[in-house]
Amino acid sequence: MIGTAVTRPFPHLLLPSLWATRNRARRREKGDAARAFVFGGIGLAVMSALFYGAFWVTWQAAQYAELGDYLIRIGMSWLFLTFLSFLAFSGIVASLSTFFLSDDLRLMLAAPVASRRLFFARFARTVVQAGWMVVVFLLPVLAGIAFAKCASWWFVVTATMTVVPFVVIPVALGSAITLLLVNVFPARRARDILMLMGLVFAMSIVLLLRFLQPERLLRVESMPEVTDFFATLQSPITPLLPSFWAGEALFAGLQNGRDLLHIGALWSTAAAAVVLVGWAFERWHFAGFSKAQEARKARFTQWRVLDQLANLLPLSQVRKHLLIKDLKVFLRDVSQWSQLLLLLALVTVYLYNFRVLDLERIPYMSGFLKNVYAFLNLAMAGFVMSTVTVRFVFPAVSAEGAAFWIIRTAPISLKDFLWSKFWTGLVPVLVLTEILIVAGNNLLGVDPFLKRMSAAAVIFMAFALVGLACGLGARYPRFAADNPSQIAGSYGGVAFMILAVLFILVMIVLLGWPSSLYLFSQFRNRPLTTGQEIFIAAMFAAAAVLSIATWLLGMRTGVKALQEMDRTPS
Amino acid sequence: MIAVENLVKRYGSFTAVDGVSLSVAPGQIHGFLGPNGAGKTTSIRIIAGLLKPTAGRIVVNGHDLEREPEAAKAALGFIPDRPFIYEKLTAGEFLRFHAGLYGMPELEIDTRIKEMLDIFELGKWQNELVESFSHGMKQRLVMSAAFLHRPKAVLVDEPMVGLDPRGARLIKDVFRRMTEHGVAILMSTHTLEVAQEMCDLISIILKGKIIAHGTVAELRSMAGTPNDALTPVFLKLTGGSGLQEIEEIV
Repeated sequence: MIGTAVTRPFPHLLLPSLWATRNRARRREKGDAARAFVFGGIGLAVMSALFYGAFWVTWQAAQYAELGDYLIRIGMSWLFLTFLSFLAFSGIVASLSTFFLSDDLRLMLAAPVASRRLFFARFARTVVQAGWMVVVFLLPVLAGIAFAKCASWWFVVTATMTVVPFVVIPVALGSAITLLLVNVFPARRARDILMLMGLVFAMSIVLLLRFLQPERLLRVESMPEVTDFFATLQSPITPLLPSFWAGEALFAGLQNGRDLLHIGALWSTAAAAVVLVGWAFERWHFAGFSKAQEARKARFTQWRVLDQLANLLPLSQVRKHLLIKDLKVFLRDVSQWSQLLLLLALVTVYLYNFRVLDLERIPYMSGFLKNVYAFLNLAMAGFVMSTVTVRFVFPAVSAEGAAFWIIRTAPISLKDFLWSKFWTGLVPVLVLTEILIVAGNNLLGVDPFLKRMSAAAVIFMAFALVGLACGLGARYPRFAADNPSQIAGSYGGVAFMILAVLFILVMIVLLGWPSSLYLFSQFRNRPLTTGQEIFIAAMFAAAAVLSIATWLLGMRTGVKALQEMDRTPS
Repeated sequence: MIAVENLVKRYGSFTAVDGVSLSVAPGQIHGFLGPNGAGKTTSIRIIAGLLKPTAGRIVVNGHDLEREPEAAKAALGFIPDRPFIYEKLTAGEFLRFHAGLYGMPELEIDTRIKEMLDIFELGKWQNELVESFSHGMKQRLVMSAAFLHRPKAVLVDEPMVGLDPRGARLIKDVFRRMTEHGVAILMSTHTLEVAQEMCDLISIILKGKIIAHGTVAELRSMAGTPNDALTPVFLKLTGGSGLQEIEEIV
């Protein structure tokens, strides 16, 4: 019997992850139905939108005979070129975990498993981890294109024959880069560097796409720019890239043709890449893995300035220490603070949009529109606030993780602990959204009354949403989560987002209705009646009461949940 | 000191801890022994304030844990079986944070941290991140934290897990020195040699109930094996060793 497992083919090594996935799917938790409904609904909506978008664009392009075909062809090549870079990067990140950092590797490497078998098993896992998102995205897009072009069943075969090797090639390349990286840097340091690079890359893409001002292409006077735009699209496409082969093969499939040359190129390159990377792994994987085990020490910053700053704040000793701890843990975790870069890019884009918004083009309506935009700005700032809150404040309690025993055995009340989390979260959220609202309204040039009202409303909304996030985060903690995104996507996180959106909508109604009465009276130069003044005051008071109630009830729920918690993460 | 009266913990119909009572006097090390799943860790976690008891009363240094949780916890140090700590803090920062939680006077903190790190042989690691520590080093850091605020009583759950012989010796010495200064220690352990060597009193728990209580000599006579080491005494009291069955299987 000894040695049976050794001779079993490599899929045997995939069984633990398959069984774990099956067990996760079988496990039932509170809120499963709500989560499935919300996430399933979002997923379905996104896929439908992608299908419809691809269908519409292809349909429109198809109206222009040869030019249309040219556009579809170039569009597909570009789509695949984008995915090529995404998959390569995703392959680097996924292979770092599957080949070097995964906990079960010690078990695998200690077992009598041939390195070639281990490579195949790990590579299969890497391909699935790195490529599933691209496949899920491609499915509705290709279906949309196929429907618009009334493609035959052959297109389905071509698509399958194309997408599989197309995913394998960049992931193999990414795995090879990882292999090189971990033989130079320790694996954890390499992961941090990659995470940062990925975010800087995403941030640059967001900024670049916005600063290109694609809306200019929709103006009639800029038709010559459209031609230039496509000319720039065409230049980087090279027949040597797998994205070009995939585009060509699929384009032939759309027209019931069979481009066996490019499909053959895809499969042979994929096979060669797997063999070459497999060989490289057999040679250098163990050295890299060993290095990942030995070199665990990372460089870090002491952040002594935080201690000095905290000492200046009028806080109790306990709150001061909680604040310093939270800030240091946040700033030393690349996966945490690097998210701020993306946030910074989004804020820049947000404000830039208001700067380039050209409302003067509609002369009679500009004054009215500006004030409508002020409410849109408030709603958008509210949504930004809820997104930032669910990502950074909601996970605050769960982030204590298995170390939560330290707080629970310490002589501090859980009420103090949660309120400390609240204040730590409130200050940055309030400052950020206040900047957004004040700068946005100034760029728009809205009525001074609306400026003051929005600035005050944001203060109330920040208290309410941060309080709600802290409270629900304490009520539905996920101490075992690997990262804050998992916590934000949990049942409690989804519940918070639903409640936050409802809260923002109600606030917009409570503030917008009376404000419109005031603005119309100004516009018509008529004073407000006493009844109208009472109505305005009542609505503003209702908004204030709603915010304060959400804030305090949220916190009370959280404190109660922590006090009644009858389990321990450690 | 620690006094536990009729502690009960139920999970649905399952009773994990069933009427446990014990007391640990100042300067005493009280061993809490029992097979896996007997209710040791549950009891220790309830006394530490991590779990809510279904019934019973816990008093630490004269403070009722339910009525005055903060005062009771301030007098208590806790060393869990698995040393989970904030990985992104340095050893020094972790202890400073801990000192803050326990309200230690600001002026005293630095000196005390240095003392504790020196005692537990972690002085040169003060400015290194916890994530780079071995299991044994983390365990010693948790112990430094537990004794940092000069507690009157300390709860220890499996102190020797993951410690090398030198580390284990160090811990035994530290525990002894602490008891000489009047600290009461309640220690759950599987390592019977440690219990035999260190404990003034031992309570054996089985299926949530204390089935035996006394000094090592008293337990020996209770088991009817006056000259044996603690292991056969423990096996006899907790229901046989199963060695015969192992022999048959092998």
